Amino acid sequence: MFELDALIAEQLTEVSLNSAVQVRCGNSNSFVVTASTMLPLIQSFGMGGVYISASRGAVEIIQAFESIGVDVSNIQFLDLVSSGILGGTDVPYPNVHFVDSPIMLESVLLRTLYILRTSTFERNFVFVDSINALSIYNDDRMLAEYLHTFINTFRQREVLSVLINVPDQTPPLVLANLDLYCTALIDRGQVVIQ
Amino acid sequence: MMPSSVYTRDRCVTGIHGLDEILRGGIPYGSTVLAAGTCGSGKTTLAMEFLVRGALAGEACAHFTATEPSVKLLENIRQYSFFDMNMVDTGLINVFDVDVLYSWLGLDKATFDLDDVHALIKAIVDIVNTIGVTRLVIDSVTTLCYKIKSEQLIRDFLFTLGKKLATLGCTTVLISEITSATENAHWSSFGVEEAIADGIIVMGDVERMGHLLRFLQVVKMRGTAHSRAKHSIELTQLGVMLTPMLKWGAVSDQQSRWGA
Repeated sequence: MFELDALIAEQLTEVSLNSAVQVRCGNSNSFVVTASTMLPLIQSFGMGGVYISASRGAVEIIQAFESIGVDVSNIQFLDLVSSGILGGTDVPYPNVHFVDSPIMLESVLLRTLYILRTSTFERNFVFVDSINALSIYNDDRMLAEYLHTFINTFRQREVLSVLINVPDQTPPLVLANLDLYCTALIDRGQVVIQ
Repeated sequence: MMPSSVYTRDRCVTGIHGLDEILRGGIPYGSTVLAAGTCGSGKTTLAMEFLVRGALAGEACAHFTATEPSVKLLENIRQYSFFDMNMVDTGLINVFDVDVLYSWLGLDKATFDLDDVHALIKAIVDIVNTIGVTRLVIDSVTTLCYKIKSEQLIRDFLFTLGKKLATLGCTTVLISEITSATENAHWSSFGVEEAIADGIIVMGDVERMGHLLRFLQVVKMRGTAHSRAKHSIELTQLGVMLTPMLKWGAVSDQQSRWGA
């Protein structure tokens, strides 16, 4: 049985729409943390939003949610991974959009804004999965600069930003900037392996 | 002592997401703006959206197409949800094939002389005047000027056309095809268009690790204190969208930290 981290939902009740939340996790608990963050947003708060997938293809993520009985058909996925795989963009889900590469950061921002302009939800989030995946492709300084732009853009528009991050896989400069720009932290990064 | 009020020129609000912010309110009315760009950079889409936003505000608009037949142009632009074919049907957006215009004027020759150029200017100005056009696009001025062999005549053509259109209160976008949009490039094909124009908007691509990112940069716009920063653009169903290009990502690969 899949067990959610209920404390995350509790912490999320304390953030406002113009917040930027850094959610730290480890490699082994990343999906538990992701699902525990996404579910309250969709089910309890009735929010719509954009899920930016840089760590895995959107289909894999959608199917992972479906396997635990979560309907994400109202969430729009911006897939930064699958265009790099031949045939990867031929997907059966109408809520999946693509950007050619995770290095096209400005395109990611503009595509997200475009999707939000078409959103029928009153309250929306942008969910970045994940900062450490973006740091594989992007120069530290550019990614740090981007986070500044990205977070402020959505704060200004009252769109909640949620940024998943595995801290020990993120360069110090990016991590420092993330700590600086985010207004809240949910830390599930310390995973004790028994 | 500071002046009590600062004079600002009335603006033609483009309605394009982000562009009016860059221009600090829009293009000064009656300006002739050169939209210079490489192939695939989004010039035609930007120009067409400029007309659509005007038409939505009730303005009469005209598009002279010299690079592709109007039927093909409209077919391509119909894919965008900001465009509505009704605007053409109801005469808010008027699309003219330059080839047809040449036939009307009897200009079926390989090169134009002074009289031909004056006839062409008169035809365009008459159309603008008759319909009451306030937004005009010529796509492209490069193709139009191919038949004018003298640099002086090209200069006269653009200067006279721009002056007459400005008198009529028409804001004009002249599309210019260029092969490179780098720092050292010319922003026009014949070298004279950029000197005549009141404004220059450059569009091109920045290569980042093998991927092309479209950019737009306003390098000149008389009558407004505009931003001169490079902006990244996306052509979406809802129209052109812009955001400032990342400073660490605006350099080409050869100059960047990844090295050549």
